[in-house]
Amino acid sequence: MEWGIYPAAADRLLSFIGIAVHWSILQYVVGLPLLAFVAELLYLKTGDQKWLKIAKTIVKGFIIVFAVGAATGTASEFGLVLLWPNLTQAAGNYIYFPLYAEVFAFLMEVVFIYMLWYGWEKLPKKVHVIVMLFALIGPWFSAAMIVSVNSYMVAPTGLEPAYDPATGQWLFDQGYPKLLLAVPTDYANILNVTLLQQLGMEVVGQDGGVVLVKMPIRIIERLVYEAWHGYTVQDSILKLVIKPEYLNQDVLNTPVMAILDAILKATVNYVGVTTVTFKSPVYLGSILHVVGSAITVSSFTVLAAYAMRKLQLRRKGVKNGEYYEYVDTFFKFAAIFALVAIVLQGTVFGHLMGTEIAEYNPEKFAAMEGTSQSIFSISRAFGLEKLMAFLGYGSFDAHLPNYDEIPKDYCVCSVTHDQDLARIGDCRPPLFLHYVYYTKIGLAILSGLFVLGVAYYLFVKKTELPEMLLKLALPFAIIIQAVSWMGWVVREVGRKPWTIYGVMTPDVAHTFNPAPTSLVALVAVFFIVILGILAYAVWKFLWLPGKEEVGMEVS
Amino acid sequence: MDGSSIAVFWLAYTFGIHIILVNIGIALSVLVPYLKYRAKKNNDQALLNFSYKLMRFYAATYGVAGVYATAFTVFLLSFYPNFLGIAGNIALMPFAIAILLIVVHFTAITTYYYGWNRLSDKAHNIAGIFLAISALLIPLGFRAVFAFLNTPKGLYFDGTVARLDLTEALTNPTLLPLYLKSIVASLTAGLILVTGYAAVKYYKTSDDSYRNALKSVVDRGVPWALAGLGLMLILGLWYTLSLRVVEYKFNNIFGPLGWKVGDGTVAFNLSWLLIIKLILYAAQVYLVYVAYTSIKKSGFLSRKEASNLLFAGMLALVTIVLGEYLNAFSQYPYFIADVTDPKIIQSIPPEVLPYLANALNLTNVNTLATLTLVQILTIGFMSFLSLATLYFFYIYFKEK
Repeated sequence: MEWGIYPAAADRLLSFIGIAVHWSILQYVVGLPLLAFVAELLYLKTGDQKWLKIAKTIVKGFIIVFAVGAATGTASEFGLVLLWPNLTQAAGNYIYFPLYAEVFAFLMEVVFIYMLWYGWEKLPKKVHVIVMLFALIGPWFSAAMIVSVNSYMVAPTGLEPAYDPATGQWLFDQGYPKLLLAVPTDYANILNVTLLQQLGMEVVGQDGGVVLVKMPIRIIERLVYEAWHGYTVQDSILKLVIKPEYLNQDVLNTPVMAILDAILKATVNYVGVTTVTFKSPVYLGSILHVVGSAITVSSFTVLAAYAMRKLQLRRKGVKNGEYYEYVDTFFKFAAIFALVAIVLQGTVFGHLMGTEIAEYNPEKFAAMEGTSQSIFSISRAFGLEKLMAFLGYGSFDAHLPNYDEIPKDYCVCSVTHDQDLARIGDCRPPLFLHYVYYTKIGLAILSGLFVLGVAYYLFVKKTELPEMLLKLALPFAIIIQAVSWMGWVVREVGRKPWTIYGVMTPDVAHTFNPAPTSLVALVAVFFIVILGILAYAVWKFLWLPGKEEVGMEVS
Repeated sequence: MDGSSIAVFWLAYTFGIHIILVNIGIALSVLVPYLKYRAKKNNDQALLNFSYKLMRFYAATYGVAGVYATAFTVFLLSFYPNFLGIAGNIALMPFAIAILLIVVHFTAITTYYYGWNRLSDKAHNIAGIFLAISALLIPLGFRAVFAFLNTPKGLYFDGTVARLDLTEALTNPTLLPLYLKSIVASLTAGLILVTGYAAVKYYKTSDDSYRNALKSVVDRGVPWALAGLGLMLILGLWYTLSLRVVEYKFNNIFGPLGWKVGDGTVAFNLSWLLIIKLILYAAQVYLVYVAYTSIKKSGFLSRKEASNLLFAGMLALVTIVLGEYLNAFSQYPYFIADVTDPKIIQSIPPEVLPYLANALNLTNVNTLATLTLVQILTIGFMSFLSLATLYFFYIYFKEK
């Protein structure tokens, strides 16, 4: 199993479960407020009580899932601190700003979401719409911050990838991938630049008190490992690249952490303390894709809920009345959102994300496309390689990166090769990604066709939907959640063996005091049980009260 | 303001708000299931309504309490990332206990609140038991961490890697008194606040059955509140005595008042905060005692005494916050109070000592996090969001 190739398999699995749960929930936290906001605007414009009911219903669902999301988010946050404390420490030191700013977003979410709910009868309509807007901004602001950190982890700012799609050549032998670093002049002066250049480092300029270099990530990774393991220059690879005349006892006793800290702080200062993560080359595509995914999943879920209501009404033979009108309007409203969202997601946001990954994470792209002879490749079997190369690189002449040509040890420093390869496992991402990715794409296309069918009956044919189509709404709500989830898997698992691409591997990020596997398994089971209870609670408290016999959606 | 003052200010600010709300939450988690159980048992609809009102308040404010805790953690991460890295590596188990219980508590809140009138009485009461027990146990994990920050019992080094012996950590002499004191303080403050609120409401409602329910809450609650205040005195003394092993901290609090241990050095005088805290405590005792005697003599409180009882509840919350500040800042500038103890220093491998000394000192702030631009943004956002929080409470309590 490829999962076990990389370090800290059990804790990665626990984090995987925790974050997967959080991911599923946050789809609604980010997606639902937009639907509610639009519904409330329509109410403000038309004065039609139907829209108010729709807005209230969405907000009710939003509040319940938000509360669940906040709890799973807190658990994930603590999980991050406890299982990956060294990653937390690095993030806090160098890319803290979006996490810091996320607090404002989270506060905004909590305060305005509660205000939204308790203010329905107490605030003037227009003020309530403004509160709703803030309740929408909160989760989006939050997403923008967190996704920026995640984007940085996928492709740090200043990354130079190791692949040329025009020639189809990997550039590992030239020292790529490389990362831009700003080395304080004091440190740069004691380094043997000629030797470092032979190892692949490029000096690209000087700016104030720093020398700008493009450093092979295999060197950066090693230094990060040494820093977090308490190395001093005496035992470090740095000793090999410091000019002999500077190798006095003071220098030899200097912790690698102190040197790395100075370089990373100088780099962050040079790039921009508050902007460094937002400049990640995959940020724009990532944030659009995440928000698009949330709106798509939310729309499909609402669509499914009201498809079921429609089925209930149909079975009772109800064809008019206030409740019927309300359900019908809500269903159409959700269908429009679902259609627009999935089209945008597939043709614009997803495509943009894909091109960014193709350019900056070519190793992952190779795994996603399954360009290895060792597996059955779907793209190869269906002759999609040229098309995928075009989609990824904008040219039919471009080449897909060949997975089999990626050296297993491209991320490992040659000086400490065996030791580093033993702890990292394999520098290549896992190939099972190919099947996850293509399953995701296939299911996304099916979901698009489904909602297109719904829209056809609603807005072109303008007739009642076939029962089968209504019945399919629920499976597709689950499928679209699975599509989103698989996208997240491709993004996160596809980054392996890296925790922060080119900088930190899981073995370094991982706690020095891991819990026993049995305890990790127990905690995982605990989370799954709790999730089951919460899912049941949401169903019981959100779905059941919405039934007509219990009353209109929100009293 | 220098970097460490900025950091400490934001940490204290977010922690203070969190502590106020979380203490109300602990008390309500115990009181609400009890009141609801009693209301059902006596078929008292008015009391049932009152207990639902309290639960509704808790459900509405739980998230606010949580988000301020998150804000505290993130500020800690940003200002003191190296400390958090160390804490994460060492304190997995105490934090894990707290997190797992937070998730249980959250599930219990959801089930209890949304299950009101939807679940059977038995199922709802079971959810209530989970609500109360999880609320009482969550602080155990966090207090274990606080006790560790008093004196790092159970800390060992395996080469240069620090490890924690959980069993030994749980026998930290400051843990039990600190934990019990915290729980009793929460319950007492919550009880004073709820009885005060009920007493004030008593005079604002014309519904006789509701008045009766409120009166029964006050009549039964005030003696317990008084007993809680008495117990606080004993537990406070116990915690004080346990702190004698943490000389640095003990002397900073009690040294200027003439009670010293070890060499008696007072590095950071915080005795004034202790005195303020004691004055506030005495004021609460007085106001609750007046309420108690009124109930005994006249059958109920006067309107003014009702307001005073509510005021005493607010004072109790402020006292708790001051107690937390006293506990935290009396070890300033160290994250671990006992870190200056020669025995502790000797147990740390010399090669990691400089790093630890740096990471465990509050004056060593991440300089990137104290940039002027970031702090301007922080002041702007925190002001806006703090006002929004107040406005939310205003909306919540505003009549339709």
